[in-house]
Amino acid sequence: MLVKDYMTRHPVMAEPSMSLVEAQQMMAEAKVRHLPVVETGKRLVGLVTRQTLRIPPTELASLNVWEITRFLSDLKLEDVMVKHRDVITTEADLPLEQAAQVMIQHKIGALPVLEKGIVVGIITEIDMMTQLTELLGGNVAGVRATIRMPNRKGELAKMTRAISEQGWGIYASGGVPTPKDPSYWDCVIKVRDVSKDELLAVLERIEDQEVIDLR
Amino acid sequence: MSSTDRGHAPILRVRSAAISYETRYGDVEAVRDVSFDVHRAETFGVVGESGCGKSTVAFGIVDFLGANGKIVGGSINFQGRELVGRSQEELRKLRGDQISMVYQDPMQALNPSVTIGDQLTEVLTVHRKIPAKEAREKSIDMLNRVYMPDSANVMKRYPHQISGGQQQRVVIAMALLNNPALLIMDEPTTALDVTVEAVVLDLIEDLKRDFDTAIVYITHDLGVVARVCNQVGVMYAGEMVEVGSVEAIYANPQHPYTQGLMRCVPKLGSTKESSILYPIRGRVPAPKDRPKGACVFAPRCDYAADKCYNEKPPLSTIEPDHSARCFYSEEIDASSWTPPEGMVPKLAARTGGNGEEPLIKLTGLKTYYKQESKSLLSLIGAGKSRYVKAVDDVSLQIPANQTLGVVGESGCGKSTLAKTIIGLETPLAGEAEFLGFDLTNPVSQRDVKLIEELQMVFQNPDSTMNPSYSVGHQIGRPLRRFRKVPSDAVRDEVIRLLHAVRLDESYYRRLPRQLSGGEKQRVGIARAFASRPDLVLCDEPVSALDVSVQAAVLNLLMEIQHEYGTTMMFIAHDLSVVRFFSDYVAVMYLGRIVEFGPAEAIYAPPYQPYTEALLSAVPIPDPTAKQKHIRLHGTVPSALNPPSGCPFHTRCPRRDMVPDGGGICEKEIPPWQYETEEHRIFCHIPLERLREMEPVVTAD
Repeated sequence: MLVKDYMTRHPVMAEPSMSLVEAQQMMAEAKVRHLPVVETGKRLVGLVTRQTLRIPPTELASLNVWEITRFLSDLKLEDVMVKHRDVITTEADLPLEQAAQVMIQHKIGALPVLEKGIVVGIITEIDMMTQLTELLGGNVAGVRATIRMPNRKGELAKMTRAISEQGWGIYASGGVPTPKDPSYWDCVIKVRDVSKDELLAVLERIEDQEVIDLR
Repeated sequence: MSSTDRGHAPILRVRSAAISYETRYGDVEAVRDVSFDVHRAETFGVVGESGCGKSTVAFGIVDFLGANGKIVGGSINFQGRELVGRSQEELRKLRGDQISMVYQDPMQALNPSVTIGDQLTEVLTVHRKIPAKEAREKSIDMLNRVYMPDSANVMKRYPHQISGGQQQRVVIAMALLNNPALLIMDEPTTALDVTVEAVVLDLIEDLKRDFDTAIVYITHDLGVVARVCNQVGVMYAGEMVEVGSVEAIYANPQHPYTQGLMRCVPKLGSTKESSILYPIRGRVPAPKDRPKGACVFAPRCDYAADKCYNEKPPLSTIEPDHSARCFYSEEIDASSWTPPEGMVPKLAARTGGNGEEPLIKLTGLKTYYKQESKSLLSLIGAGKSRYVKAVDDVSLQIPANQTLGVVGESGCGKSTLAKTIIGLETPLAGEAEFLGFDLTNPVSQRDVKLIEELQMVFQNPDSTMNPSYSVGHQIGRPLRRFRKVPSDAVRDEVIRLLHAVRLDESYYRRLPRQLSGGEKQRVGIARAFASRPDLVLCDEPVSALDVSVQAAVLNLLMEIQHEYGTTMMFIAHDLSVVRFFSDYVAVMYLGRIVEFGPAEAIYAPPYQPYTEALLSAVPIPDPTAKQKHIRLHGTVPSALNPPSGCPFHTRCPRRDMVPDGGGICEKEIPPWQYETEEHRIFCHIPLERLREMEPVVTAD
C-alpha cells in the first residue's frame, strides 16, 4: 500500500507554452482534472487544475469584449499554473496514508509523484477511494459485518479465531476507533461463501463483542 | 479494459485513421478507417500478413512515414492531445519523452561504433539533462531490469560483441529509460531464435506490468499474439477487419479472414496425418488494386455475396469488446466451414516406410571448418589450427518416402548438415551413403546420376533464381542437363511441372520479378522436382513466406511428395511446421543430434531436456493452451570451443535429474539411450526419469 501501487503512471502532461484553450480541451478529452506542467525530460514546473483555469473577474473587468477574446487566446499555461515551488508533491515510495494526510492538510485533490524532480505519476482522491474500496472488499461479493469490540489487546484475535475455526476466510478488513467513544473499536470484515445467519451465529458467541451491522 | 486501469481514458485513441503514400501513380491509400484504443498496462496486437499496413499504422502514430507518407484523415489522440497535424518539432519532443519504438532488427537501432553504455546514457543526458554519473547508474539498473547478465560489463561493450537476443534487450532497455507512456514494437522478436524469443516475450509481459506502459505490438505471428496481447486488431489490406480481446478473437473469430488465418497455422498438437492446413486462396491485393466501395476481402472470401462487392461493410459490434467488419459475421458459422474444391491436398497412399532399407544413411559424419590460428607460427605453417565443429558425429537414416525434420536454434549446424549431404561441404570423417553412392565427395566430383537424384529447395526464392531468365527456362534447365526428356518435349514437361505446383501455362514466359514470394517458391519446388529426385533437401522453404502462403506451399510439398514418392529432409526452426510436416524429427544442438525419433515420439515425453526447452518456447496460437515454462539462459556456446562432455550441460535446466547432480555431464559425452528402436535420446538422465516428465503442451 505505497503510493507507487496506487498512483496513475504516465499521467497526462503539458508544456508551459501550451495555450490555455488547448489545455482545457486536452483535459476534457482525457477526462482529467489535474495537469502537471513539465519541461523537457518530464521535469515538473507547475500544476494546472480546473480551478486555476478560472480567471478572476477582476482581471477581466477592465477589458472590453474584443480584448477578452484576445486576452484568453494569448494565455499560456505558464501564466496561470501554480508554480513548481508552490506545488505540493509526494514520492512513490511513501505509504499511501502519508500522501493522504498531505492532501487533507492542504485540502487538495491530487499530488504529482516525483522522483528527483521528474514526474513519474499522479495520485488523486479517486485513487485513495479505490484503495479504500479495495481495503474493505468493495469489489468482492460476500457478507460484510461491522463488529464493535473493546479497545484492548486480544479482541481482534478472538474474532479472527472464531472465523478461522469455521474454516472461513476474511477477504477484507479494516478498523477504526469507534466515533465519539475511544474505549471501543469498530472493525469491518468481509467473509465469502457464508450466509448472513451463519456468520451472525458465530460472531454473536464472542464475548464482549457486538455485531452492529450486517449486510 | 484491464483491471489496473481504473476508468482512465485510453493512452492512445485512433479513430478512422487513413494514411496515404504519394507515388508516381498518385496517392495510394495504404491504411484506411483504422480505429482502436490502447490503455495503460495493456498490449494491443496488430496482426496480419505482409502488405496489410501493420507497420504503416505504427509509423503513422508518430508520423514517421517518410517524405512521401502522410496522414490524410481521421484522428490519432495521444493522452488527450491530437497528433495529426502537429509539427515535426512537437512530435520529436513527444517521441523523446513519451513514446518509444522498438524495431525488428536490433542491429539497426544500435550504433555499431559507440559502446552500449554510451548509447544508453546518452538518452538520459541529452533528453533529460541528467548528470552523467547518475545516468550511468540508471542505465545499469535498466539493463538489470531487462535481465541482462553482467550488465556493468555489457555497458563497456560494442553492439556486435553481444548476441542478438541481448541486443534486442538493450534496445528495449533504451526504449524504457524515458519511462514512456506508449511503446510501439514492430516485430521485435521475429529475427530471434525461438528460445530467445520466449525470454524476450516474458520480459515484455513483466515490463508492461511494472511500468504500466501501453504497448502496440505488431507481428505476423498468431502464436506470439496469443502469448503477449490483451487486445488484438486483425488487419487486412489496410483495414482493421476485426478487433477484440485476445480470448474472443481466438475462441470465436468472426471475420472470414481471421477464421482463414487460424486455419492455415499448424498447431503444435496436431500430427501430420490428422491435420490439414487450409490456405486462403488468392493473395493480398496491392494498395492500388484494393476494391473500392466494397468489402476488401470479398475476392478471397468463401461467403462473399453480391452485397459484399457493392458496399463497404462497417465495423459492427458483435459483443462488447469484439467487433468485425463483415455483413454476415453473425450468420457465418466457422465450425461448419467446409474447404472448397481443390484446397485439400490429395494425398496418394505412400509406400515404403518402416522396415525397408534406408534411402540415406549417415554414420559418424563430421564437418569441421578450419579456423586458422592468428599466431606467428601459423605463418610458417607450424601453427595449430582449430576447428569449428559445425556437424559433429551425426548418424541418422531416412527410410524411403519419409520426411525427416531437422530442428534447432540458429548456429546448431542444420544447414551445414544439408550442405554436406548435397556436396557443398566436404566432411572430415564419417560415412554417408545414398542409393549406393558415396556422399563424401564434393559436388564437383559427383556422378551426374547422383546429382539428379539429390535436389534442394532453398529458403529464399529470390536469391536462388536468375532474374533474367524466364520461369520456363529455369525449370527446363535441369531437364535438359539431365536429359530427362527429349529436347523437343522439354516445354511440355515444364508445363506439366508448372501444373503440378498449381501454376498455369502463362507462367512459362514470366520473369521472377513478376511473381509473388509464394509463386517463386513454387517455381523453386518445380525446379527441384524436375529431375524426379529421390531425395529433396528443403532448407527453411517456408520461413520467408506469409502464413496463408506458407500453408499452400506446405500442402503442395506434401502432395508432390506423395505423388512422386520422394524422400525429404526438411530443415526448419518452426517446431509446429516440422511437427506438421515430418515423419521423423532430429533435434540438433551445437552440431550434434541430441534426439532422434518418429515425430509423435519427439513431441511427447520422454524428452531430451533441450527438446523440452524448445517445445516450451514455441508460441502457441491458442491463449487457453497450457504450456510448461522452461527458459534457457545464455546463448549457444561457440562451436569453436564446445563445452566438454554433454554440449548442452552449460544451459541444461534438468541437470539436477542426473543421479550424481550433473557432475558427469561436464566430463563424459552422454550415451545414446533407446526408448524404442527408432527413438533415441542423447542424455545422461536415465530414461525412467525422462519418462516421468509432463507433456509440454496440454490443451484444455
